[in-house]
Amino acid sequence: MRGSLYTPGQSWLHRLKAGRKLLALAILGAVLMLVHSLPVLAAVLCGVIWLTYRSGVSVSRLWRQVRTLFWFMLFLGLYSAWVQSPEAAAEMLLRLSSLILMALLVSLTTPITQMMEVMERVLQPFARLGWVDVSQVSLAFGLTLRLIPELSLQWDEIREAQMARGIKPGVLTMLFPMLVRTLRRAQEISEAIDARAVNSSTLK
Amino acid sequence: MLIQFKNVFAKRDGHFVLHDLNLSLSERRIGVIGPNGSGKSSLIRLINGLLLPHAGQVLVDGRDTRHDVMVIRRQVGFVFQNPDNQIVFPVVHEDIEFGLKHRVPDPQQRRLRTRAALEQLSISHLFERVTHSLSGGERQLVALAAVLATDPAILVFDEPTTQLDLRVRNQFERILQGLPQSAIVVSHDLELMQAMDRVLVVQDGRVAFDGAPLEAISWYREHCA
Repeated sequence: MRGSLYTPGQSWLHRLKAGRKLLALAILGAVLMLVHSLPVLAAVLCGVIWLTYRSGVSVSRLWRQVRTLFWFMLFLGLYSAWVQSPEAAAEMLLRLSSLILMALLVSLTTPITQMMEVMERVLQPFARLGWVDVSQVSLAFGLTLRLIPELSLQWDEIREAQMARGIKPGVLTMLFPMLVRTLRRAQEISEAIDARAVNSSTLK
Repeated sequence: MLIQFKNVFAKRDGHFVLHDLNLSLSERRIGVIGPNGSGKSSLIRLINGLLLPHAGQVLVDGRDTRHDVMVIRRQVGFVFQNPDNQIVFPVVHEDIEFGLKHRVPDPQQRRLRTRAALEQLSISHLFERVTHSLSGGERQLVALAAVLATDPAILVFDEPTTQLDLRVRNQFERILQGLPQSAIVVSHDLELMQAMDRVLVVQDGRVAFDGAPLEAISWYREHCA
């Protein structure tokens, strides 16, 4: 059991209900797509940064999460400036930064189980129609959120192990052990969940 | 509660790991020892249906693991060797409450049960902690608390002391002695086995010795070391 995005805390953002945070994120995402004014987009980003500051999440923790994306966005911005225009690149970067930071804030301040409960409520109408098993879907969603940071740690461990053996890590040499470990981990977690008898569809 | 193995054969990864097992287990503390790969873990996995027999029957309180697996799993709590496999969610109380989700519909009751389980193991201070920041011993105790919160009648432990330092291992032994439930413990920790009521020695997929702890341990030392 390693890394996770959620950071316990007592800030107002931590106390805010998960449903409201997710709704705000969805609205922000939709509205930002319609906004093309650079000053407005910059103001939104400043607002999100202020929210981040108020959430009490440490800058180092935040940086650990976004540092990989930072280089990717830098590349994306330069490419966009080259093929479109510097204004278009700035617009895209401001929009993406606000959305990523806001999504990260929601993940950092919301326990996974609360997100699962929101998902179960949202899917309830479909469950009544018999289209989905909400417990199964929300569990899959929760586990996905939970295990994404673990995959990155797993990648680092395999890379270090290969370097210790004098092997230069590459995509091909990493892929197979990564696949094997991920499948084994999935098997272990599914066994643990089975052992805890939390499968609602069969729990009678 | 009675656990019965009737002519049980079990396979894992296409190979037979247990052969013609006939057992009747009812003692309060049962230990299982044996060399690596002898079939110990498979034997205890049969008890709560994580592994189903290839042939024969495993009955827990008269119920067949083939047909009533979910009912049996609610009675048999399983504590894995590696708590990292068992702890699914990132915060201690979240993980324990997750296991209660379909048993205790009221969230307030779930929280009370979670607190009670943590208190039982004197680890209430871990309630809000992020699980990956805990020590190995603390994680093992949290995994046990998650199982105890579900109020099982039998506890099954798969090598529970392997990853513990001496202090936490002794703490675990004291906790095990104080638990009201029946327990079946697979372990290489022979000192822990001495406190059992009955010890099975598993070798090459068969119960090679079955008896009192001291006899079983000396048989194991003589034949398997």
